Order: sequence, then structure tokens, then C-alpha cells
Amino acid sequence: MLRIYVLIFIIAILGSIGYGAKYYYDTTQATIATLRENNVKLESAVETAEQSVATLQQDMVKLGNLNKELSASLQKAEAYGDELRTKLSKLNLVVEALRDSKQLEGKMNGASANLWRGLMEDTGGDGNRPNPQWLQRPGGTGSESSNQSGKGTDTNSGSTETAPTQ
Amino acid sequence: MERVQIPTVALPKPLQLSDTRVFVVTKDNFEEFEKEFTELYGELAFVALSMKDYENLALNIADLRRYINQQKEIIVYYEKAVTEKENGDEIK
Repeated sequence: MLRIYVLIFIIAILGSIGYGAKYYYDTTQATIATLRENNVKLESAVETAEQSVATLQQDMVKLGNLNKELSASLQKAEAYGDELRTKLSKLNLVVEALRDSKQLEGKMNGASANLWRGLMEDTGGDGNRPNPQWLQRPGGTGSESSNQSGKGTDTNSGSTETAPTQ
Repeated sequence: MERVQIPTVALPKPLQLSDTRVFVVTKDNFEEFEKEFTELYGELAFVALSMKDYENLALNIADLRRYINQQKEIIVYYEKAVTEKENGDEIK
């Protein structure tokens, strides 16, 4: 009788060990599967993050270049006003008018014509429109310094230096 | 990373400016101006500006031009920022 009990006990122990081993195996396999899935997800996330970092780096380079271009363009846009201010500070228009009003008038009209054409060109329009007849008229008002091409005179200055239209 | 596609819009119509004519008048040529002006326009009615005011007007216009050009450059900057790839190819 005792042998039977011992046998049952041993079988129970072995059964428990077997069940425990099976449970451990299943649990471990499930954990491995979960970890594998997580690993795939993490690899995908890392890949996405690396792509995002690369894109951001590219964007930073691009925006840096664009910023440089913009700064240069903004500075260039100041040139006309700066040049005009410098010229006006060197000139006395009253004296120029008293010296030769027709010459000054011609320069003013020529410069105005250039300015309007420059503004039209700046906004995508036709900057090469011919000057008005009264400006082109030889010996007439504004003929002395206004050039035929619509370029080359500075706004209300007494000099004949060219004022680049932008 | 998903990029948001921002469509660019057409620029406004270009400026269509009319020519303007100024007369420089001093006490020495006033009579000549009066005659020429009346022949041209029929009546002697005009707007007079002092040289200082003319300078101010020119500087004001120059500043407006600067503003327009800088505004335009900023628009170009944003357009490039939303449409161009780094290698310069535009996103179709």
C-alpha cells in the first residue's frame, strides 16, 4: 500500500514538473514572440525616426541656404533707396534748379520714367515700355539727360550717373 | 515624416504705371513755363512742390519700392521653402 502512495506521489511530482516545464516553455515562447513583435515595431520606429532626423537635417540645410539668399535679396532691395539718399545728400536741388532748370527737369523726368518702369518690372510687368514722346523730344523738356532706353538717370539728382533699376 | 503640401498661388497683376511729368520752375523761367504749360494743358493750374518736398516724395517712393521688393523676396522665400527639395527639384 505504501508503495502505491509513493508511486502516486512520484507521478504527481513528475506531472507537476512536466506541467511546470510545459508552462515555462509556453510562457517563454509567448514572451519571445511578443519581444520579436516589439523588436520589429522598434526597428520600424527607429527607421522612421532616422528618416525624420535626416529630413529635418535636410530642411535645416535648405532653410539655411534660403535664409542666406533672402538676406542678400533684402539687402539688395535697400540699394536703390540708399543710393538715392546718398545722392540727395550730396546735392542741393535748389542750386541745381537755379543753375540750369531745364537740365534738372530733364533728369527728374528721366529718373521718374525709369522709376515707374523699374517698379513695373519689379512686379512682373513690362519695364521696357518706351519713354513718353515729350521725354524723347530732342531739345524739349527732359531731353537733356533722359536717355532713350529708359535707363541711366537717377531720380531727382543733378548727376548723370546711372541708377540701376531692380 | 509626412510633409504638408501647401499650394502656391498666382502673384498679383503687375503694376501698370502712367508717366508723370514735372516742371522745374524758378523766377528766371517762370514766364517761359507759364507759356509752355498753357500751350500744353490749356489752363494754368498746377500743383507745386518745394525741392524739399520733392526729395521727400522721391524718398517715400523709394521706400515703397524697397518694401515691395522685400515683400516679394519673402514670398519667393516661402514659395521655395514649401515647394523645393534640397537638390533644387520642385515637388510635382
